[in-house]
Amino acid sequence: MPKMTREEFLLEMDEILGLRAGTLRGNEKLEELERWDSTALISLIVLAESNNSAQISPDQVVGCSTVADLLRLAQVDGSSS
Amino acid sequence: MASETKTIQAAIPKAMKFPISATEILRKRQSLKKELLGQANLIPTRIAILGGSTTTEVKCMLELFLLAQGIQPAFYESGYNRYSEDVLFQNPDLWNFKPDIVFIHTTWHNISQFPQLMEPEAEVEERVRHEMARFASLWEKIHTELDALIIQNNFDLPHLRPLGNLEASESFGRVHFLLRMNAEFAKYARNHSKFMINDIHYLSAQVGLNVWDARTYWYNFHMALSPTATVALGQNVAAMVKSVYGKSKKCLVLDLDNTLWGGIVGDDGVQNLILGRDHPVGEAFLDFQRYVKDLQQRGVILAICSKNDIENAKEGFSHPDGILKVEDFSAFKANWNPKPGNLREIAAQLNIGLDSLVFVDDNPAERALVADQLPDVAVPDVGSDVSRFAEILEHERYFEVDRVVQDDLKRSAYYSTNAQRSTYQAGFSDYGEFLASLEMTAEIAPFSAVYLDRITQLINKTNQFNLTTKRYTSAEVENISRDPGFVTLYGRLADRFGDNGLVSVLIGRASSDTLEVELWLMSCRVLNRELELAMFDALVEQCQARGIRKIAGEYIPSKKNKLVAGHYAGLGFTRRSESSDDHQLWHYDVPKRHSRRTRFIRRTTQTLPTVSNA
Repeated sequence: MPKMTREEFLLEMDEILGLRAGTLRGNEKLEELERWDSTALISLIVLAESNNSAQISPDQVVGCSTVADLLRLAQVDGSSS
Repeated sequence: MASETKTIQAAIPKAMKFPISATEILRKRQSLKKELLGQANLIPTRIAILGGSTTTEVKCMLELFLLAQGIQPAFYESGYNRYSEDVLFQNPDLWNFKPDIVFIHTTWHNISQFPQLMEPEAEVEERVRHEMARFASLWEKIHTELDALIIQNNFDLPHLRPLGNLEASESFGRVHFLLRMNAEFAKYARNHSKFMINDIHYLSAQVGLNVWDARTYWYNFHMALSPTATVALGQNVAAMVKSVYGKSKKCLVLDLDNTLWGGIVGDDGVQNLILGRDHPVGEAFLDFQRYVKDLQQRGVILAICSKNDIENAKEGFSHPDGILKVEDFSAFKANWNPKPGNLREIAAQLNIGLDSLVFVDDNPAERALVADQLPDVAVPDVGSDVSRFAEILEHERYFEVDRVVQDDLKRSAYYSTNAQRSTYQAGFSDYGEFLASLEMTAEIAPFSAVYLDRITQLINKTNQFNLTTKRYTSAEVENISRDPGFVTLYGRLADRFGDNGLVSVLIGRASSDTLEVELWLMSCRVLNRELELAMFDALVEQCQARGIRKIAGEYIPSKKNKLVAGHYAGLGFTRRSESSDDHQLWHYDVPKRHSRRTRFIRRTTQTLPTVSNA
């Protein structure tokens, strides 16, 4: 399965957080997202596993402070841009 | 908005139907929840989750699957691994929460101490007793202090086996020990009516132990189950809660050709049908018939809905290898009419709602038509491979029951004899003559201990002839039956065709000179037989005996109980001025002398002991 693009990953994050599609841009701080909690964190790990992306450990996610950090962690295409 | 609400069956999102996509559910949980909250008439319930591990995910998944069953839960969650302390030390938050259901989510991680290597068998048994006593003390306290139904996990198995296969055979093996615990839990469940086992021993095997108990989630979050396994757990527990609230399906409607046998009976002839042990596909059809027969024997009503000539359709059941027989079906529609109309007629004939039907057909076009035109009917996507039909039905947990009572075992007979009554009725031009000829007898009496399970079951699943649609747990029913402040009545009805079983329930709360009828319901299988009049006669007699001068009745309209909108007016009650359309209040002055309304039902004497006040 091909890796997700940056846009696809952001749309999935919108879905996990219950946000309207296209809400997240990548520069948001996680602590400012209302529904960023342990449940969302687990959904993110499952998302990464199911898309054959990089294996993400909870420790690594906890170390992230922005959505951009998550993009880099998940190694989605275009995440370095 | 009310205009945008959906029926429960139609509201279940595709991701939550077979084949369930755990990943999709986990990713879309927020939007799924929002979608499910748009349903009408959600039943509220209060569930305390007492966890031996982290329960956040459990709560989320349980909530989703309960909403998919039309039940809206409010939750209490214990702190991490505080399942025991919260109960034993009476956490005020838990006590104030007043749960209807306590779900104890423990797993093998919560065994306090496993047997030591080479520990003698007698000491292992002592350890089993000790562990059982620890759990039983929680359960007893929940029952006596919180008066809630308990759903308790049994034990899954650890996926690591240091002793290898000896784990299962040696008495000190952990697998052996956990299976002994499961046997003791099961024994407790058999002896306690307000206690149900959530069988995670089976569930973990179904999911696969390596997926069930993913270590990374334990080490990072102290989750005993992986997120994927939690989806399966949520679905399973929701099915149990659904059964408690009487929301399980009642009737399995089946197509015939290529559903119950291979081939087209009208074209191929019964002798050429593929059915039997001498053919791989025939064996699969035979096993599916066996499964359907098992469902029927434990109380699921069966019906046929097939495009066939009736003679050909019935002839198919004369196949020498067939397990199902024509008489196993309480309704039989074989004609060339569109199936949605036939399904409506089946529901009407059986006096059950369309939402009680599950329709199985190998033809995707027929399934699509029924799903589109009858959104209340459950139409599983069974495909066309008969070897998977039973598995798919199992997976959807349509027919989950909280207990099997004697009435369940006779249910098919009740509905079959109703069909005989309909045929018999056609020979009468006067309905009164028909009722008189039925030679009906009714046993109407205060709640008896032997009927409490059936009474609870009826209370939680009757929707149409139900004045208030109030639901009661088995604990509440038992308490009411012991409380002298209540008047309780059950009604059994028999006639020349057989016994209809316990089919009516009434609960009234006495205060000074008034009896407030909180609940009055009757199974639709005895509609228009005047049993409600016999119940009213018995109610008035009870009030007279207790010096009660007024009966207060209420009618709370629901989506399904329009049938009884005129019930109190018909009995001669007066509508009270303070009532509203959403909550009608009625009253009736109990006369000193009451002329029985019943014309066609002879009351028999009740001989069973009532529930003791001790």
